[in-house]
Amino acid sequence: MRRVEFYFRETAAGLRRNGIVAFAAMSTAFIALFLFGLALVIGRQLDLVVDAYTGNVEVAVYLTDPVRADNVARLQTKLQALPAVESVTFEDKDAAYARFVDLFRNQPSVVENADADAIPASLRVKLADTTLYAQVTEAMGCIEDEATGTIVCTEPGVREVQDHRALLDRLSVITRVLSWSVLGVALLMLGSAVALVANTLRMGMFARRKEIGIMRLVGATNWRIRVPFLIEGLVEALIGATFAIAALFLVKVFAIDQLRGEVAFLPLIRNSDVLSIAPLIVIAAILIAVTAGTFGMRRFLDV
Amino acid sequence: MISLQRVSKTYPKGVTALDDVSIEIEKGEFVFLVGPSGSGKSTALHLLLKEEEPTSGSIYVAGKNLAKLSSWSGVPKLRRNLGTVFQDFKLLQDKTVFENVSFALEVIGRQKHVIDQRVPEILDYVGLGGRLNNYPDELSGGEQQRVSIARACVNRPLVLLADEPTGNLDPNTSVDIMRLLDKVNKIGTTVVMATHDQAIVDAMRKRVIQLELGKVVRDQSRGVYA
Repeated sequence: MRRVEFYFRETAAGLRRNGIVAFAAMSTAFIALFLFGLALVIGRQLDLVVDAYTGNVEVAVYLTDPVRADNVARLQTKLQALPAVESVTFEDKDAAYARFVDLFRNQPSVVENADADAIPASLRVKLADTTLYAQVTEAMGCIEDEATGTIVCTEPGVREVQDHRALLDRLSVITRVLSWSVLGVALLMLGSAVALVANTLRMGMFARRKEIGIMRLVGATNWRIRVPFLIEGLVEALIGATFAIAALFLVKVFAIDQLRGEVAFLPLIRNSDVLSIAPLIVIAAILIAVTAGTFGMRRFLDV
Repeated sequence: MISLQRVSKTYPKGVTALDDVSIEIEKGEFVFLVGPSGSGKSTALHLLLKEEEPTSGSIYVAGKNLAKLSSWSGVPKLRRNLGTVFQDFKLLQDKTVFENVSFALEVIGRQKHVIDQRVPEILDYVGLGGRLNNYPDELSGGEQQRVSIARACVNRPLVLLADEPTGNLDPNTSVDIMRLLDKVNKIGTTVVMATHDQAIVDAMRKRVIQLELGKVVRDQSRGVYA
């Protein structure tokens, strides 16, 4: 208990002593961790959109109503025979509706306005080689009518083949560029955060060099001398992390939730998504503190 | 208690501070280390504290070979057995007399009840029983040195190393400090004191080891300065 009290008191004194420098370190840690979290949020949003569009299958063959079992069996066999295809599963109208409801579960207005009957049954085709997605379209005899822009399929029972690749390619390029550049800036900021936290530790050790000298002389161990500084760095980084997580929730509430009305067709990230990113931010904060501690105290503290 | 065996210390620039020095000091002895500035007195004390490594030779303190001590646990343990007192007192100005002494116990993880018992006890012993809550700048030089002696002794070290402890004090105060060091020695603490205060060495009639240019030129029991 005595030890815990000692560390706590030394840490508090340290933070008070270098108020402004500690503040600079904290705010840099905050910005770095916020951008890091933002990159993760953007990535998560991208995944949601991709899921929404593909339902985790590469190509969907939508069927005309009413669905005839013999057609389903015949098409399934035909698709399975294609070299590009790994597996084919049949999703009936009920299952399709259930998936739709689940996908938009936090945008109830979308679900209410949807006609369960309008959601078609489909064959979900998983590709062995995703570059060969055109094979499916070809096998179903689907051709886009140049004049009207509608797709006509010759294979009986097939309404339309949707390979999402073209759309996904464009979508993912945009979001990946966005996500990576935010992550890049975040990494730079994480670097500065490490440097600034290390700097506060050094200034703290310089201000207390006389105490440290006495501690060494009377036989304090290395850890006894270092731990208060390590805790100080950790507290700075964790305060930054707390603000970063709070800021991400604000972004979610004031930016993403505002979109909910505008783009009803897109599934959007929820609080739980932001919450699942929080531990990663805390881990990043701990890494900042440990790295800063290693660099900041290396020169100073050999007995 | 302390054994230096053929110890030499040469600094990178080629300055030789100690040159093939061998010294044996028994438990409970009081030893003066004398000699002009640059004769190697301070280097010898630094080596005993393992703040520096000898270039050659070996050093034993309380039966331990210093070369074999790890910096993570061996060196701190060594220093807990060595009290240190300096010319400039090295007190923390923002801590009271009590806090300066308790700091030394606190940072080696002593329990609160041990601190609360030992700190007033040792301050009483050095004659500062009534000044627990004063700050160093409210004390005279002699009183400050008493605080630093209390800090050095509060953990009951085997050896007290004193580097010019009277260097900043007037002759009368110096005599008081020497009486205190003698008292510490009488209870069994080995005392090694580096000094060039001739009057004190002559008055005490203790063992004198004289260094010159890094060599022992005289080792005399019940000696005088020169």
